[in-house]
Amino acid sequence: MAEIREKGYHHWDGQLEEKRWNFWPITRTGIKLAFQRKYFKFVFSGAFLPAMVYAAGVYISERLEDFRFMAQGAERTFQVNPAFFKSYLSLDFLFFMIILLMALGGAGLIADDFRHKAVQLYFARPITKLDYLLGKAGVVVFFVGLLTLVPGLVLLILKLLFSGSFKFILDYPWIILSIIFYSLFLMTFFTAFVLLISSLSKNRRYVSVIIFAVYLLSDIVQGIFWVIFRSPYSALFSVKANLKQLASAIFLEKLPYTYPWYLSLLVLGSFCLVSFVVIKSKVRGVEVIR
Amino acid sequence: MKAIIEAKNLSRWYGNVLGISEVNLEIEPGITALLGPNGAGKSTFMKIITGQLKPNLGEARIFGQKVWNNRQIFRRLGFCPEVDAFYDELNGQEFLTGLLSLYGFGKAECRKLARQALELVELQDVSSRPIRSYSRGMRQRLKVAQALAHDPEVLILDEPLSGLDPLSKRKLIRLIKDFRAEGKTVVVSSHVLPEVEAMTSEIILIHHGKILARGDIHFIRELIDTHPHMIRIKSTQYRELARALAGEDYILEISFQPEDQSVIFETHHRDRFFDRLNELLLESGLILDEITSPDDNLQAIFDYLVGR
Repeated sequence: MAEIREKGYHHWDGQLEEKRWNFWPITRTGIKLAFQRKYFKFVFSGAFLPAMVYAAGVYISERLEDFRFMAQGAERTFQVNPAFFKSYLSLDFLFFMIILLMALGGAGLIADDFRHKAVQLYFARPITKLDYLLGKAGVVVFFVGLLTLVPGLVLLILKLLFSGSFKFILDYPWIILSIIFYSLFLMTFFTAFVLLISSLSKNRRYVSVIIFAVYLLSDIVQGIFWVIFRSPYSALFSVKANLKQLASAIFLEKLPYTYPWYLSLLVLGSFCLVSFVVIKSKVRGVEVIR
Repeated sequence: MKAIIEAKNLSRWYGNVLGISEVNLEIEPGITALLGPNGAGKSTFMKIITGQLKPNLGEARIFGQKVWNNRQIFRRLGFCPEVDAFYDELNGQEFLTGLLSLYGFGKAECRKLARQALELVELQDVSSRPIRSYSRGMRQRLKVAQALAHDPEVLILDEPLSGLDPLSKRKLIRLIKDFRAEGKTVVVSSHVLPEVEAMTSEIILIHHGKILARGDIHFIRELIDTHPHMIRIKSTQYRELARALAGEDYILEISFQPEDQSVIFETHHRDRFFDRLNELLLESGLILDEITSPDDNLQAIFDYLVGR
């Protein structure tokens, strides 16, 4: 039966929930928008390639007898130990894929809001600046977590399943903490890195380029300083080198550089802190023209 | 009537540039229009009462609660910014649903409220199209929809009619009037004075960051004694009429417009003028076609007060 609806205001008589996770709608929208970006889904799928290879490695390590024909002389490669997990979580390719994903899906997180002047829409609603920043950070944490924490824990579970015992955990009781702690550190660092650069421009494309440029240039700067000074401390200028140094320290492995690990922590920690201060000052509801 | 929005000694500077200065206001339920030329301080005022800008001095309150750093007040407030503020990749329904979820509505409620708001601004047919494909008018209506989707008690609309075609403007004005009829509060800023006149006669005139005048348009006009009232009378006997009134001491100036057979009188005493006109019509049998007040409108008041 046809219905004639009177156009006019509809009053809402429900009870509003007091949400503690006010940032979640912002994160959800950010994730949704990231998947709508060109090539994002393709790159996102490709980013799981290392995880799949490492999962196969875990399987092979437990079936070395069956795979002897292809693993001859490379048995050490197929040893699953803390170095195996460290190697996955500090893989150059993984870092590269995270940077690529963030350049595609994370560059516009704040830049797009600046461009569209959408920040004022957020701040005209019952959310705080912290909710807004947590919402944006949630997007980066989601993707970096999916590529680090989740595969790290899955690889550990696979190791336990394929070996059929808890011996690995008993041998390395701290490994879960190492995986969690290092993954959390990567999430924090990449969040600060992406949001800082995203808050510096209104143009998402510039942000994408700068994300790549900073990451790659830091390696080049390290190379230049190394050539000039031949000092291991030159690695402090490289994002990748610092992350690797820290990974080795957290997984109790031999450090790749001869300087103390806490210097890398200091460099990356300071970067995160400065980023937070800059982002907080850049994000405001209105554009103040002086 | 109890004031919904209160501004006490509100001042805001941008470095050396003055935004607003010592603004004291009480805005009651109904439609109040904020008028002023560019850079007058309208947007600064709106940004302060929507909690996006902190005043350097003074305080803004809505429902008796201070606005700055009081996010909960925004559940009762709807804000439509002047500039476009969209994620072009989303469609209208997704955009509204996302914003509604920030208020704490459940998923189903968000969808329902978004649909209702889209119906209200007549965008339901294009709700699944990406915003990037919307025309300027559609985007403007979507902005209004996001401001009222959560059923706010106070609506702050910054230039809501810009970019709309005449029909859409009429519809939106009707929508805003419906909102007022609910006993709610609307603060609207606009440059287009006839549109403001169509919405309300309650105005606040801002210039150089200060409130120049506030209240009913006609009442404000009465108070402007630096400019005499202009009364234009159209009649085939306009010269006889002028002759009959020329001797009155309260008539300051008479000018003829022979091309449309009318005469304009300027006076400081409108009431006395009309009393005398009534007497004259009864005595002499003069026939008038039209009486208008060319400067008893918003544009004239605006021009007089800002010194154009």
